Amino acid sequence: MFQVLINGLVLGCVYALVALGLTMVFSIMRVVNFAHGQMYMLGGFVVYYLYGEFHLPFFVALPAAAAALALVGAAFNRFFFQPVLANATREENSMLMAVGTALLLENLALSAFGEKQRGVPDVVDGTFILGDVADGGVILTYANAMVAAIAVLVIIALLAFVQYTRPGRALRAVAQDREAARLQGVDVKATTTLGFAIGAGLAGLAGGLLVTVYGVNAGVGSNLSTKAFIMIMIGGAGVTSGAIVGGLLLGFAEAIGYDMLPGSVTYLMIFVAMIVFLVFKPNGLFGKPWG
Amino acid sequence: MNPLKKRDLVVAIGLLAVMLVLPLFTGGSRYLLSVLMNCAGLSLIAFGVWLTFTIGRINICQAGFALIGSYTTAIAMSSFGLSFWLALPLSAGIAALIGGVIGSFILKLRGIYFSMLTICVTEAIRLAFLNGGDFTRGSKGITGLAQPFGGDSALPMYYLAVALLAIGLGVTWRMHYSRVGRIFRAMRLNEDLAESFGTNVWRYRVMAFAVACGLGGLGGSYFAVFTQSVYPQSFTVQHSIYYMLFCFLGGLEYASGAVVGAFVLTILFELLSQFQQYQTLIYGVLMIAVILLLPNGLMAIRSAGKGERS
Amino acid sequence: MNNRMMLNGLVTALFLSMGAQAARAEDNVLKIGVDGVMSGEAASWGLVNKYCAETTAEMYNAKGGVLIGGKKYKLEIVALDDKNDPKASVTNAEKLTSDGIKYIIGPNIDTTALAVKPVMERAKALNFPYAFAKELYTAPANASVLGMVASYQVGPVMYSYLKTKKGVKSIAFLARNESDAKNQQAEGVEAAKKLGLKVTADSDSYEPGTKDFMPVITKIIKTKPDAIVLSGVAPADAPLLNKAARDLGFKGAISTETAQDSTILAQVAGAKAAGFMSVGGASTPEIQSDAMKAYIEAYKKHVGEWNDEAGTKVYALELILAVLQKNPAALTDVEVFKKEMATFSMPNPYVKGGKTTLEFVGKADFGRRSQVGVPLVVNEFDGKEFKTLFVGTIKN
Repeated sequence: MFQVLINGLVLGCVYALVALGLTMVFSIMRVVNFAHGQMYMLGGFVVYYLYGEFHLPFFVALPAAAAALALVGAAFNRFFFQPVLANATREENSMLMAVGTALLLENLALSAFGEKQRGVPDVVDGTFILGDVADGGVILTYANAMVAAIAVLVIIALLAFVQYTRPGRALRAVAQDREAARLQGVDVKATTTLGFAIGAGLAGLAGGLLVTVYGVNAGVGSNLSTKAFIMIMIGGAGVTSGAIVGGLLLGFAEAIGYDMLPGSVTYLMIFVAMIVFLVFKPNGLFGKPWG
Repeated sequence: MNPLKKRDLVVAIGLLAVMLVLPLFTGGSRYLLSVLMNCAGLSLIAFGVWLTFTIGRINICQAGFALIGSYTTAIAMSSFGLSFWLALPLSAGIAALIGGVIGSFILKLRGIYFSMLTICVTEAIRLAFLNGGDFTRGSKGITGLAQPFGGDSALPMYYLAVALLAIGLGVTWRMHYSRVGRIFRAMRLNEDLAESFGTNVWRYRVMAFAVACGLGGLGGSYFAVFTQSVYPQSFTVQHSIYYMLFCFLGGLEYASGAVVGAFVLTILFELLSQFQQYQTLIYGVLMIAVILLLPNGLMAIRSAGKGERS
Repeated sequence: MNNRMMLNGLVTALFLSMGAQAARAEDNVLKIGVDGVMSGEAASWGLVNKYCAETTAEMYNAKGGVLIGGKKYKLEIVALDDKNDPKASVTNAEKLTSDGIKYIIGPNIDTTALAVKPVMERAKALNFPYAFAKELYTAPANASVLGMVASYQVGPVMYSYLKTKKGVKSIAFLARNESDAKNQQAEGVEAAKKLGLKVTADSDSYEPGTKDFMPVITKIIKTKPDAIVLSGVAPADAPLLNKAARDLGFKGAISTETAQDSTILAQVAGAKAAGFMSVGGASTPEIQSDAMKAYIEAYKKHVGEWNDEAGTKVYALELILAVLQKNPAALTDVEVFKKEMATFSMPNPYVKGGKTTLEFVGKADFGRRSQVGVPLVVNEFDGKEFKTLFVGTIKN
């Protein structure tokens, strides 16, 4: 049982990181970044090329992945989302744009990188072993531990940024009330771009981190996006605590579910439980009402 | 008749007319007919998404209900030996019923929460069929379904598709351009206000959703005999998203919007097969271009400046 | 009114242009179709079919074409992506057959291959799927020829090897939750039981798209098997599964009955996948002929890198052309082709030594010869590349 809990914890930390990126974008722009999974995938490819193919140090490749995706996020916001939000008669058009960007990124990646699965050499090798797994013991690979640790560090850094720095406070202000923030002198346009960039950057970082344990291929995006949606729905969209709790919950649910139930029934149960949960708590655990 | 409705009517009737006479010009090419049958089936399912838009919700679970319709037909025909002509209305009915039940729970959610939840409903439906044991035959799917018309010609199936399309168009039309449609519009614009006027908002919402799901089930049933098989992955979230795109592209203010979007995008897809590997990429780029340049859909071209009444 | 006419006129024009394409016919060009999955997670399966056919075509066209019945034909490969969606597969097949194409390579999985079967029958065409569902190849079905060795043919051979050479007594099965993989799991379980092995896990599966295999492998390891069979595993999942199993301390044998890719295994799992047994094609260095070496070079030039799957998929087009050369009437009549299949035999061009023959097999499993007789090669991964464990042939 312990092994299951460890698996759940590692998974949960990583999922929390992914969920945070998505919720950041949503809180600022009220748009669900459908391309979140694809941005994660691109982060993985950046690290694959920089660290795996060109042999740059991993701790150079990883920030590079975050930075690259932050740029992509800023560009998307500036060239795709802001025009749509300004012109459309219906707000659903921004969602359509988000879906379009997801399709675009996925297919660009497929054309540019090919369809093959890619992997990178281990950053750290070795395992903490506490007994034989078959007999109920526990193991934790250094690689998984590193991934979880970095995920946690980044989450803490992000929370600190949002809480204590000026741009961070601007983000919170815009998320809370756009008009009031504008009246207070916050540059809403710049802040929105920052928010999207951070959200995308987090996705890229998560991807770059996870390529060391899971590898990457051009098709991993949509599955991850669906999971990210579940996380923020459970936790509450637009709220950081919601994203973290949602991520952890899903990680544990997945690990425990796979252990106790046959394969796909796990996710069926997760979906059904979530639908029932949402009927009673439509905004998730910590979310604010929509509209 | 206001200009919007007139344009809508002209396009709808025009399209049906073209489809009725087209086989005379195609020289028996099965390929062309099969593309059009595909378009018709997709339009049918997309109507459901369109209808849900009219009550102010973004519906991404139509694929799930198409799957329900497909499996109902498949199980009815293979396990219970029913004829397709019984299975077809049965599928629409069961899909509508399940839609009504699920809808009565989830329709109180709004906006993005509703949409994300519908994504999860689609996945849950797929997983349910995947784990349905012997009843749904799990990942093996149900194959070997007989087409309702014997013989080699594609024409009977083609005209069935046209007939179903006409039915879907008719239902959507009636719901939109009627008293019920006006109530939907009120609900969409301001739900709280509509409620305060005494309209039983909940009842109308569930009804619209149930009809939408029924149309999805109808389309799914058609596809079951078109491909003569059904699998849990026959209709996925990705398909749901495409149906949504059809409606956006066609135009949300026009009942024939779903049809226009479905036909244009599907045919575009087929024409792009020249570019093979880059097909979906070009498709994605075009998608974004259209959203940036035609945010109100194809049918709204040339009506900018006329001041649409919404 | 203008808008409506414009829209309908545009639509009609599009239809007619598509129809015009379909009606075009050309002399001395032999078109071969490829209908398979070329995008998404399983993209390599269909893409390799396409690349293999294109490489063969290029090699012939460089020599002026392929000589059939005294005429030289330029080969043209028409490849369409079905995204593993039966609806797309059907439309693609309709398109290819409307174009006059009689021989189609693909599709790649049970669902799409079964959907395409009625289309093949109606169009009197023949296809070469890479899916194992028996109903495609057993009478009364007569429109498909299996392009490779089926998992249920390899399984018993591999388990027997594990039992006798590695002392395996208990075995666990893990499958991807999809039709093909689940079928392979069921067949594998049956074969293992027949050999007297104890099956410790017979129905566990994981969702396509899973990347973290710790939970599901933990469950398997707890049943304490001597060997784990990854039924129907995709090349993208295999390295991660191996890695998870070894990280969790599993010391037994891991095997599969599908073809894998050594580059991906080396990159993603490296030494942790050492010992992994899988199905190979004709490209293992130990048995490569010079013709195969030339083909590999041509493939690398065409695509950029080699893919081990191509070792199996190289056979389809070559065999089709060989039968057409023997009896050119088959160019337009697939019934002639089918009759030839019963007695056709040629030296296998891709295996060195010139003593192996290439024929149509499958009597034992399907009741008739409806399968390409690709050599049955079992590989073992050594951390960097595949080493041939043994070579056999399919029982007929």
